[in-house]
Amino acid sequence: METLGYLAQGFAVALTWDKLMWSFVGVSVGTAVGVLPGLGPALTIALLLPLTYQVDAASVFMLFAGIYYGAMYGGSTASILLNTPGETASIVTALEGNKMARKGRAGAALATAAIGSFVAGTIGTIGLTFLAVPVVDFALRFGPPEYFALMVVAFATVSAVLGTSVMRGFTSLGVGIFLGLIGIDLQTGQSRFTFGVEELLDGINVIIVAVGLFAVGETLYLAAYKELRRIDTIAVKDSIWMSAADWSRSWKPWLRGALIGFPIGAMPAGGAEIPTFLSYWLEKRLCKHKGEFGHGAIEGVAGPEAANNASAAGVLVPMLAFGLPTSATAAIMLSAFQSYGITPGPQLLTDQPQLVWSLIASLYIGNVMLLILNLPLVGIWVQILKIPQSMLYGAILVFATIGTYGISRSVVDLILLYIMGAMGFAMRRFDFPTAPVIIGMILGPLAEQEFRRAMTISQGDLTIFVTRPLSLTLLSVAAIAILAPPLWRMTNMSRAR
Amino acid sequence: MPSRRELLVAGLGSAALGLGLGGAGAQTEPLPKLNVMVPSGPGGGWDQTARTMELAMRTDRLVRDYRVEHVLGAGGAIGLTRFLATRKGKGDEMLVAGMVMLGALAANKSPAKLTNATPIARLTGEFEVIAVPANSPLKSMRDLVAMFNADPGKVSWVGGSAGGSDHILAGMIAKAVGGDARRVAYVAYAGSGQALASLLGGQTTCGVSGWGEFGEQIKAGKLHPLALSSDVRQPGIDVPTLKEQGIDVELFNWRGVFAAPGITPAQRAALVRLIERMVKGPSWQAELKKKDWTDIYLAGDAFGKYVSDETARITHVVAELGLTK
Amino acid sequence: MNLRESRSGLFVGLGIIALAAVLAWQTSLIPSEAAYAQVGPTVVPWLVTAMLAVLGVALIFETSGERDAAEEPRGALDHRPLMWVIAGLVINVTTITYLGFIIASTALFVCAARGFDSKSPLRDAAVGLAIAVVVYVGFDRGLGYEIGDGLIENLL
Repeated sequence: METLGYLAQGFAVALTWDKLMWSFVGVSVGTAVGVLPGLGPALTIALLLPLTYQVDAASVFMLFAGIYYGAMYGGSTASILLNTPGETASIVTALEGNKMARKGRAGAALATAAIGSFVAGTIGTIGLTFLAVPVVDFALRFGPPEYFALMVVAFATVSAVLGTSVMRGFTSLGVGIFLGLIGIDLQTGQSRFTFGVEELLDGINVIIVAVGLFAVGETLYLAAYKELRRIDTIAVKDSIWMSAADWSRSWKPWLRGALIGFPIGAMPAGGAEIPTFLSYWLEKRLCKHKGEFGHGAIEGVAGPEAANNASAAGVLVPMLAFGLPTSATAAIMLSAFQSYGITPGPQLLTDQPQLVWSLIASLYIGNVMLLILNLPLVGIWVQILKIPQSMLYGAILVFATIGTYGISRSVVDLILLYIMGAMGFAMRRFDFPTAPVIIGMILGPLAEQEFRRAMTISQGDLTIFVTRPLSLTLLSVAAIAILAPPLWRMTNMSRAR
Repeated sequence: MPSRRELLVAGLGSAALGLGLGGAGAQTEPLPKLNVMVPSGPGGGWDQTARTMELAMRTDRLVRDYRVEHVLGAGGAIGLTRFLATRKGKGDEMLVAGMVMLGALAANKSPAKLTNATPIARLTGEFEVIAVPANSPLKSMRDLVAMFNADPGKVSWVGGSAGGSDHILAGMIAKAVGGDARRVAYVAYAGSGQALASLLGGQTTCGVSGWGEFGEQIKAGKLHPLALSSDVRQPGIDVPTLKEQGIDVELFNWRGVFAAPGITPAQRAALVRLIERMVKGPSWQAELKKKDWTDIYLAGDAFGKYVSDETARITHVVAELGLTK
Repeated sequence: MNLRESRSGLFVGLGIIALAAVLAWQTSLIPSEAAYAQVGPTVVPWLVTAMLAVLGVALIFETSGERDAAEEPRGALDHRPLMWVIAGLVINVTTITYLGFIIASTALFVCAARGFDSKSPLRDAAVGLAIAVVVYVGFDRGLGYEIGDGLIENLL
């Protein structure tokens, strides 16, 4: 098996002390930011992006991968003990997990979440290991028309699932595309949307938008609305382990969660929200203790948490193979690759095999570290919740400043950061989702460039998108993704009548 | 290519070495301080030039304190503007710049002019290569030109961003063979890896790129090189130049150093001497070999004339490509 | 409640339409016929402009029933703490080039902490200064960032 040989080489790199240290720092920081409400992996990685100018790629990606996985574990702790999901993928965990904690079963909930995350995270990583090569082989056949079609699929599905309404999701997406178009057009060298500001010719750095929307925006929002700042932590009273009954009720949901989470995460439409909701729905259907659902059913924690972590591994498949980010965190990791001059895509595995395989190896290692950090040592993370908010958000703003001003020393960038912060505040205030802005900002210009490349190659012939079988297939998938839900709803409604 | 971190570590190491040895064997007093502005981000060609200069100057003990500052944006226009505005008359300030900046200044209609800085020396350069996939029916520039002249739309050229050195070369070739530079069907990619993938995947007709980016694939036989943009054949590379094939075009993606505007002739002479000692020194020569950079050292007034000629030539091509409208 | 909801919808919709107008103005400034391209640089900007304009109109007429209410009650907007944080940001951006990162960040920290109900500005100043110094030393000296000069930076 060629794959296993590569993976062994990856472990050889990832198991050196230097790299283990980066992994460990990553999973620790990741768990911490996952636990803290309002902070997430996307924001943390965005703040640490300037590291890419200084540290070698393998170390940085191990750190980022650790943060990414760690935040998934930490998020479940916050959901269970605080009922404040650290990130969107943990919303479902809070439903049953917090109920369990209120009934004095916090330990069992934490345990099934951590072990389930470990089991599913490992299954997902195995999936990534063996899917990486075949998916890349597939991706090599992609030209500009296929890439464009793939991005249409991503657009059709990603934005609709994020946020409270489709219209608001698309508005966020449109604003993101606008931000992404700012700067010099790659194909013709013309400046667009620069408002005569020379600093905008290179476009707006995605870090500034991400940090502004997430960190500054969240800080302004919490400052303005005191109600949201109230947090009551539930103490862990029982032992952090599971009874035999808990085990027998947990293992099947773990496996089912992993099997739902990974493939959906790996799809260009992916993300972590759909699989967690799907898993919750499925466990509720299958559960023998239906009455417990809504009052702290362990299956409702085990399944979604497993789905969440398996999808986290899945999201890395399109990111590494196509350079296609399907979550905000993946989008920011993509810009980290770009800052090394590395373009994720089919060439990545042949150009940078050591980097990719050591990254994958570090995911296995990170999962083991996280299991230890989150089971016996969960008490430490609960302590983090005792940092006064005034100190925490003050420090976040200082880090946001260094994350932007430290890269460019440009006051223009700092002003942009605050404009984005104000926008993030307004979007929260009026219930617009913020993640599609980042996705639109990255995917929009990519899709535009691929479309125009395809048109240059075809000499302006639009049929290039439907005469190539792969491109046609992808566009059909996109059409189904857009048309199916309303059609399904209509038929259901007519049946109900 | 060494990673940035290795470069950094090497730089620190040699700095420590320099301190340890003191000034004992130095013939001339080292310059106390040199600030070098890089008008692009860390890791790029200009940054590598500045870092390699640092390494060479510190190892050969030509300066005591060497600082690099990055001012990125607009293909170097922002850095140049700031350099011209804030460093007037200062004899210990330098700017790394090159051919790419001329294209960017012209395309952005930037009021700043590179000729307003004081030219010191051209240091290195990279020639470009025009290549096709190994299985392409095109075997020489003559085939490519015939196809282009028959229908320019059928030939898709892939390379870096519009207005960059790859695009400029494509435009120069089109013009030299009697075509219209604006009819070049140019497919731009931000990264050379993607451009390479599109060429290898047979999506585009031909690719234009620096030798460094296509060299590996050419040696591996996956790409077939049609021509080099250098003035003469390059040692060790069995590829004819454009001129040999009857196309009167030569292009170097050169990089050089400039001093502040309004410095005295004595200050200028001192900097020219400093760079000359660096270029002739053992460390710089060793680094050139290690990095496979072409040495095209040209100093003083000759470089000054070269810069103004290049400015006129590049500005003209960029206009012909239709980028300055 | 209903009146307030519809008013906020009108406000949001008009805001998006205003943004679309700005986009239309900027797009009209892009020279489209300059360089050779099958699809010029203005096509997608016009599409985005149209998309936002349509969504802006639609948002005006969106009723609150078409979307879920906010998941958590946020209570009333409190101006005072918000103003403290904004003041901190403004002080930071106006002083950072003159006084340096450390002083500007300390001021930002103190204002932000005040916005989050901290009652001891002296302690905040001490904590903020410590964080700013550690961040500066770690990033500028340790990792080789170029954060620039400043009153305290030049002493370190």
